[in-house]
Amino acid sequence: MSEPPANDTRVAETPSKQSSTAILVVVAAWIVPGMGHLLLGRWGRAILFFVAVGGLAVTGYLLRGNIFPPRGGDVFGTLAFLADAGSGIFYYFARFFEAAGPDVSRAAGDYGTRFIAAAGVVNLISVCDAHEIATRRRS
Amino acid sequence: MLIEAKPIGHFPALLIFALLASLALACVTQRTTVERAKYAAWSLFLFVAVAVGIAWAMYPLSR
Repeated sequence: MSEPPANDTRVAETPSKQSSTAILVVVAAWIVPGMGHLLLGRWGRAILFFVAVGGLAVTGYLLRGNIFPPRGGDVFGTLAFLADAGSGIFYYFARFFEAAGPDVSRAAGDYGTRFIAAAGVVNLISVCDAHEIATRRRS
Repeated sequence: MLIEAKPIGHFPALLIFALLASLALACVTQRTTVERAKYAAWSLFLFVAVAVGIAWAMYPLSR
């Protein structure tokens, strides 16, 4: 194994510190889309993920998509909740954006449901990306 | 009531979804900015083309 360069600050991090940093990054990335990348100094990705997740979620709410509660009642409801909750703060403030409630009697409402779930899934992908960067598996 | 729901047409909704999903996927899967731009543009085109193609394929069924 080759010796790391002397000016490489990353070698100063112990495995436990790197692990705690990764956990912090993962939690931050989930709660606020893009925050994990921001903590890692990746401004471009942070802004892009915030815009992508926020755009999908807010569009879904404006289309009056269905927001699944924690107790969905069945497996599909639970899966849909996990997808929706993936968007972090946007799920928490769902009622702010969609005060009138969902309306899936129209096609637009059904599309909105997919937008909201897609926002959560995109944010979960960004969480994985931030974790890989934090653990040096990805540049 | 803080934000009022806005009616968004099907095609604008498709474009918004395709654009945002393409950007996110390009950011995750590609390394350089040029690669990301190419991937996002190609992905956006495919999203829209496939959706319009499926819509036309289903058109006879709606009549």
